[in-house]
Formats: sequence, C-alpha cells, structure tokens
Amino acid sequence: MSRLDRTRTSAHQLRPFFSSQNLLNRSDGSAQFDFGGSSVLCSVVGPAEVKLRDEKLDKATIEVVARPLVGLPGVKDKALEQNIRESLEPLILSGLHPRTMLQIVIQTMKDDGCILSTAFNAVILALLDAGIPLKSILGSVTCMIDAQSSEILLDPTTEELSRARSTHVFVFDNKSSVQSEQGKMNVDTDDQEAGTSSLAAVLFSDSTGMFTEQEYFECAHFCFKASQAVHGFIRTAVQKKLEKEYQQTQA
Amino acid sequence: MKELEPSTNEREFVLAALRDGARIDGRNFYDFRTLRLSFGADYGAVEVQLGNTRVLAKVSCEVIRPFPDKPTEGFLMFNTELSPMASPAFEVGRQTDEEVLVSRLIEKAMKRSRALDTEGLCIVAGEKVWSIRVDIHFLDHDGNLVDAACIAAITALQHFRRPDVTVVGEDVTIHTLEQRNPVPLSIHHIPICVTFAFFDNGNHVIVDPTHLEEQIKEGDMTITLNVHKEVCALSKAGGIPMELDQIIQCSKIAVIKVAEITAQIEAALAADAKKR
Repeated sequence: MSRLDRTRTSAHQLRPFFSSQNLLNRSDGSAQFDFGGSSVLCSVVGPAEVKLRDEKLDKATIEVVARPLVGLPGVKDKALEQNIRESLEPLILSGLHPRTMLQIVIQTMKDDGCILSTAFNAVILALLDAGIPLKSILGSVTCMIDAQSSEILLDPTTEELSRARSTHVFVFDNKSSVQSEQGKMNVDTDDQEAGTSSLAAVLFSDSTGMFTEQEYFECAHFCFKASQAVHGFIRTAVQKKLEKEYQQTQA
Repeated sequence: MKELEPSTNEREFVLAALRDGARIDGRNFYDFRTLRLSFGADYGAVEVQLGNTRVLAKVSCEVIRPFPDKPTEGFLMFNTELSPMASPAFEVGRQTDEEVLVSRLIEKAMKRSRALDTEGLCIVAGEKVWSIRVDIHFLDHDGNLVDAACIAAITALQHFRRPDVTVVGEDVTIHTLEQRNPVPLSIHHIPICVTFAFFDNGNHVIVDPTHLEEQIKEGDMTITLNVHKEVCALSKAGGIPMELDQIIQCSKIAVIKVAEITAQIEAALAADAKKR
C-alpha cells in the first residue's frame, strides 16, 4: 500500500534520516535530527554548575528543557521533558560527575509527526557530541495503527496520524540488539515476532488509543526492527564525525 | 549559570586591536557578519544565521475575536523568550534584563512601526480577525541578537501565507491550503535594525558586535530604519553619552546597511519563491 505522503511505498518504510552534530557554538554538544519533515535541534551543556537545591551528592542532576515550535511551553512539553529525562537517567553514567548539572535543551524546528521519537534521537546524538559518558545509545521509532485498515504504519506523518486508531512510541537501547544477535534469535522470522521483541530492552514505550495485546507486540516488533536502522545511522553519523575530527587533527 | 567575564588580557587585546583599526574576527568596523537565510518546508519558517548567531522565526495564525474598541484590528504578537540553548546564562522562567530589552526592542521595531497592516487582518468587523503570532527562537548567541531576530521576524512575515477566506453574509469559510492558494500578509515596509557598539568613549564605533565585543563595549545603540530612509525606532539605553554628530554619522551608516540587508532578504525570498 502506498503511503499518504507519496514518497514512501511501504507501510514499514521510515522517512529519510538526516543529522548534523556540533552546529551550535555556545553549548558543549548539539545535534539536529530529522525524520523527513520533522526536525528537532538539541543542545547539551554539562557537566556544569548546579543550583544548590538541585544538587545531588552522588550523581549529576539531569535537567531537560523542551521548547515548542509555536507558543509557550505547555503540558505537552512538560510531559516530553519528563519522558526524556526519565528514559535517559539509567543511560547516562551520572555517577561520574557528582554535584554537577547536565542540561539538555530540546527545540522543535519542524513538526510533521513523531516529535517524541525525533527528540529522543536528537538528544542521544547531542549527548554523544558533548562527550557525556553513556551506558549505551538508544534509537526511537514511532508507529501507528490505521483506524480503517488496521495496518501498522511506521514513522507516520501528521496527516497519517490524524487517521490513527492508536499510536506507539518505542525506544530501544543498542545493547539488547547485540544480545539478541548473539543469542541467535532470528529477527526476521515472522512467527517469532512477539518472542523477539520481548527480548529487546525497551527503554521507553508510550501508547495512546485502542489496541489489542497482539497488536501491541506486533508494533513493538516492527519498531524494534526499524530501530536497528536508527542505531546504524547514529553509529555511522558518529563514525563520520570522528573520522573528520581525526583528519583535522592530522592536518 | 553565570556568564564568564572576558579576562583582562582578552579585553585589552580586543581594545588594542580596535585602536589599531582592526576587529578580532577580521571585519572592518562597519561590516556585518555573513548573513544566511534558510527557509523551512512550510510558509513562515525562517532560520537566520548572522555569523555564529542563529535565530529561528516561525509565523502562525489563528482566528480570534477582536477587542470591542478596535473591531477591525487584527493582532500581531511576538514571543521572544531566550532559551538556555542560546547561552547557558539564560535560565528557564527567569527573565534577565537583557531579555526584556531584546523583546522590547523587537516589539518596538516591528509592531509599533506598523510594518504589518493589521487592518487587513480583519475578516468580519467586531467578530473575527486574524491573530498573527511570531515565535522567535534564539538557538545560538554570539552577539547582536536584536538584528538577527529582527531580520528573522520580518523575513518570516514576508514568507508567511495565511489561508484564504470567503465571507458570504454571516458565513465565513476558511479554505485549507490545498483548496485555495494561501494569501501573503500585506506589509507596509521592511524595518531593519542596525546595532552599533561604542568603545573608548565613543571614539570607536562598530556595527554588528559579537558576543565578546558586547561584553567589552561601553555603550550601544540600535537604529531601526526601512529602505525609504525612514527611522522606525532608535534605542540607546544607557551607556556612554554620545555627540549628536556621532548619532547622525551612525544613521548614515545604517542607511547603507539597511539597503544591503533588504536587498539580500528580497533575493532570498525570490529564490525561495522560484523553488516552490
């Protein structure tokens, strides 16, 4: 089935990724991540001075600030801040920088659906750019179930989301994907769908709307497979950046 | 987080360079940094880069009820909150003096100079008018936020298209972008801000100061002009006292700069219109 945005042919195709790192000068790390027409810019400052009341004796305080494209920050942005902060807390080795602050600012640049996923991917790229020690990286993909055809569409646009029965946002870390390969789990076998995805370490999952248990696991499975592409992309992006930096130091 | 003051060495170096007629980034005193404009996929989204300063402006609109005493006036609103993305010195939810000053200046330059025809935003008098909102996001702060924000805002307003409306009796139909070609806003003139910074009791005057230069300056002045050489706003909030001649001199420089920037904005808008 062709998609509403006419650039994609398959329901499980993601929009083209784009990223660029280190574009801001005043922050310690920054990155922009695009899923087609959606774009999020993220900046990271840290480890930096912490306000006394936020100070934690054994680890770094993580502060996330999300800013919408239009209007003043509202409930939606507060929810986004909390979702991202709580998913990142186990990932960042904050014990290495006690009594400091790590400030992450997220700015939506273009909105065409899947902002939460785009923000997650932008944040991880910005953290990598800032050189913040991490346990693993993450990759996020959103999918939806069409209200009429009950088909699962990956990385939907705003137009497609208006016809959704339910939407699901998943974040997977990259450690578990390595494990499932080592464990010789065949990710491509369709009859093992539920089994494979339950193996993957889900860092974050957020679903809205009506769906069955089976549909949820199917969504998790497809998003897990798609998140491999995101992981691969992040890896290449970082590799390219490091190669470039290395060449610059040699020159 | 507190801003670090430049060190005495740094300060002396910048000042010594200025006395020798040079700026640390190699510009002449009256040069702007390279201005880059890029447009988003949808109407009214513009990213401006002025050297390392980066500003994103996004225009949006909605239909609201006008004030009873001004039944035919539409609204023009600006949102200029400085986020910690631009500089860690900006805190969330706490306005600094600098932020208030920047917001006021932009509002003065754009709104009070009546650049946008707000009467043209009326749909049904006393019932429905358009409210135009300009969100200005500061992404990177390397000085001269006002000029960059002003260029971003006016370019975004020119780039923006609002949905077409038809009024038949009492019925108002708002056509989606697919149904009918959206219409541009009617803009009277294009105000452009030019900021000057003064050093050594006003002996050295520079245009478009960087962040470092802003930290060292002794005073500043922003002149808002349009291409017809009309002064829209002039703001000199504190700093060292200036001679009248110097202000006239500055305005003469500003006239040239405004013409250059306006031409660049027009060229960028024309190039974008061709692509669509």
